Formats: sequence, structure tokens, C-alpha cells
Amino acid sequence: MTQTQQSSEAPFNPVARAIWEGSIPIEISWDSAEANKYGAKERCLLMTQASRCSYLPLLTNEVWRHIRNKSVHMSLDQSNVWYEYEGVPLKWHYPIGLLYDIHELQAAACRGMMDSPPLPWKIVAHVEDFPVEKLIKITSENSCQDYFMSMIKEADYLRNGSTKKVMNMSKSDQTQLWDGMWTKSYELFWGMNQKLVLNDGTMARYLPVRIYLPENCPVVQEPVSPMDDEGNPRTLRQILNIALPDLFPLKDTPGQPARASVLIHGIVPSLDSSALWFAQTMAYPDNFLHLVVIINI
Amino acid sequence: MSNSGTPSSETPPATDSAQEAFGSTSTTPAPAPAEPSGPPASPTTVIANHKKKDTSKVRFQAIGNAPILKQKVYTITASNKFLAVIQFLRKQLDYKHSDPLFLYVNSAFSPAPDEIVHNLFKCFNTDGKLIVNYCTSPAWG
Repeated sequence: MTQTQQSSEAPFNPVARAIWEGSIPIEISWDSAEANKYGAKERCLLMTQASRCSYLPLLTNEVWRHIRNKSVHMSLDQSNVWYEYEGVPLKWHYPIGLLYDIHELQAAACRGMMDSPPLPWKIVAHVEDFPVEKLIKITSENSCQDYFMSMIKEADYLRNGSTKKVMNMSKSDQTQLWDGMWTKSYELFWGMNQKLVLNDGTMARYLPVRIYLPENCPVVQEPVSPMDDEGNPRTLRQILNIALPDLFPLKDTPGQPARASVLIHGIVPSLDSSALWFAQTMAYPDNFLHLVVIINI
Repeated sequence: MSNSGTPSSETPPATDSAQEAFGSTSTTPAPAPAEPSGPPASPTTVIANHKKKDTSKVRFQAIGNAPILKQKVYTITASNKFLAVIQFLRKQLDYKHSDPLFLYVNSAFSPAPDEIVHNLFKCFNTDGKLIVNYCTSPAWG
């Protein structure tokens, strides 16, 4: 019989699919002091090829299983698990690819290292001393899904001045976004997501864009229209110029290297393509185009 | 169905920073951002400028049976995180950590506690105020 869901077919879009399939090898070890305390003989918990679009809490079930297996006694529960890289707590509500680009690629560029750092990305899991000042506490097994949907609603609000597009979706259609994300099903996710990012063919008011500067600078989010005052589509460079005019001049000075560039999903894109295209094709599943700024020293 | 975990129901750690972050609404308006002029600023200056303080106005609106505040509009340091707004409101309402409280912007979505107030203000303000709705049970998914 007919399907209840009105999901359309996922679009044929090789770029969106390549972004969707992007992944990073990650090695997760247990903090050495904690591993000692709980009598674990070996710190390595998990080697995995993690989807860039996924979230750390989606790895926690497996990490926790290994922690339980390795420890002699463990009275805590898995909501205590958190991750850090080189002493910095990793925000679990950021996509894994964004975390890697900020904490590994952007940080390496700041130190003047232009070569890609060696893989796997080695991060550390903790079960104690949850850094409540730095990370949001995970209150339920739905926390990650709730944050994911909140981001999608915020993006919808930026595009339309309301969250009607998301709220008019049935509960099962909304759930399909999350289910497609965690099951890594391009068809399931994009079958629903294209209604949102393509905005049913109407021009977005503002683009859902967040810009990440180095040195723990507050995230930059500006209401920027995809079109200029004459109704022409803005390029990514123009969008960046509105938000950060000093770093992204409209024209590079001849004979001088650009002051800054951006990473999207670990890629340095041409800034002269349409910003709307980037937002529709290279946004993370949370519907935001996350731009990680690299300062060229 | 689980109704736990709507983002802004996060119970924040107890600090006094929220109180300090807020002032009376009658204070001077936020200074206009400096227009870029002359040679471009260095990356260090750009980053420093994004860390400096500014203010935004927040209007609290109760929903359902949530208690109403006598004063509804407050001025907040714009570089604060949304967490400071959550903490401040909890303090005003004299809510304990265990009391459920859900915050939304424009009756539409729940910002994460680490979102910057200035960004929310720039993107979502209505007539110069960031409208924050609050209720004691989840309202908008």
C-alpha cells in the first residue's frame, strides 16, 4: 500500500552525497588517570571511521560498552561520558567534522603548520569531572536529537522568519531527519531535508551560516541575505565580507596572499561561488553552513 | 513520550555571573558598532573586537501557567552566552535547579546555552528586543 510519509526522493546531487559520506578515522582512548582508577589494563577504547556529519554522543554507546568491559568496578552511568582533545572539552552538540576542523585543522594552521596533521584523530574519553562550565550536560538520551532539531528550527527561522516549514512537517517526517542522520541514510535524510534547504523554491531571507574564528573567539552569526540589493546572488566571499570585512576584502590585494580562507567539511572552497549553493549543498545536516576561518600567516 | 531534554531546560551551574550581566532597562542604549574605515584591521584586532562587550535588550514573556515577571525588559551584556539569560530568569523566578523551565526565542526555537546573545539579537530581534518566551513545560517541540 501507499506510504504514509510524503517524503520525496533524495536529490541526485554528487556534491551533497560526497559531503554526506565524508568521514574521519578517530581513535578514542580513556583518560589514563581514570583508566588506572577503574583498573583498566588498556586505555584504547575504540577505533572508528566516524561520519563528519555525525555527533560524538552517537559513539558513546560503543565507547561505554568498552569502558564497562575494561573496568573492574564502575558505578557511574554513560551520561557522564565526555570527550576532549589536547585538554579542550569537545562540544558534543557540534558535528564531529566541525569539531575536527576547529580543534585540529584550524589549530594546526594557527601554529603555522600547513600540512594535514596525521590521522587518526586521537581524542580522550572521560567518565568523571564533567566540565559543566564548558559543556552542556546531557540530560537524557534524546538530548542530542533535541539539539539537532533546535538547530534545524533556528535555520528554518533564518530562512523564513518563522519555523512553519519544520512545524508543518508531521512528527514522523521530523523524526525522519534524525533517523536518516544517525542511520547514515542519504536517501532517508535528503528525501526530507531537501524540502527545508531548497525552501520549496522560495528565496531564503537569510542564510543559516556560522563562522568560527580561531582562539576560542565567540561564534559569528549574522543575518545575511543570499541576494544583494540589486537582486543578484551573493558569493561566499561577499557573505564573509559582510560578516568579517577586515579578513575577507571583496578583492584580494594583487601580489599578496589572501588574509584568510575558510574550511567547509575540511575543504578550502572557492569563495567566488554562490553562497546559496553552498548553503543548500554543503550545510551540515543541522542545516547550518559552518565556516571555519583559517588565518593565513 | 519523553519530554525531557529540550535544550534550554538545561540546569546551569550556580554562579552569580547572570546577575552581574543584567542591568536595569533604563540604561543607555547599545553603542553602534564601529564602521570599518582605513586599512583593514589585523586578525588579532578582528578577534579581539568580536570578544568585546556590548549590550542587547531582552524581553521575557511568560507562556501558559509560568509566573509573570514584574519587569519584563532587561539589558544584557551581548557577549554573554544564552546560558546567562537562562540563569538570570531562573534567579528572577526563584526557581530551583530541579524546577523545569523551557526557554524559546520568538515562540519558535530553543537556542543552545552556548549561543551568543549578540548573535541571537542580531538575527532574531523584534523592534530592538530579543523576545524570550518561557514556560514550565515544553511548548514548541
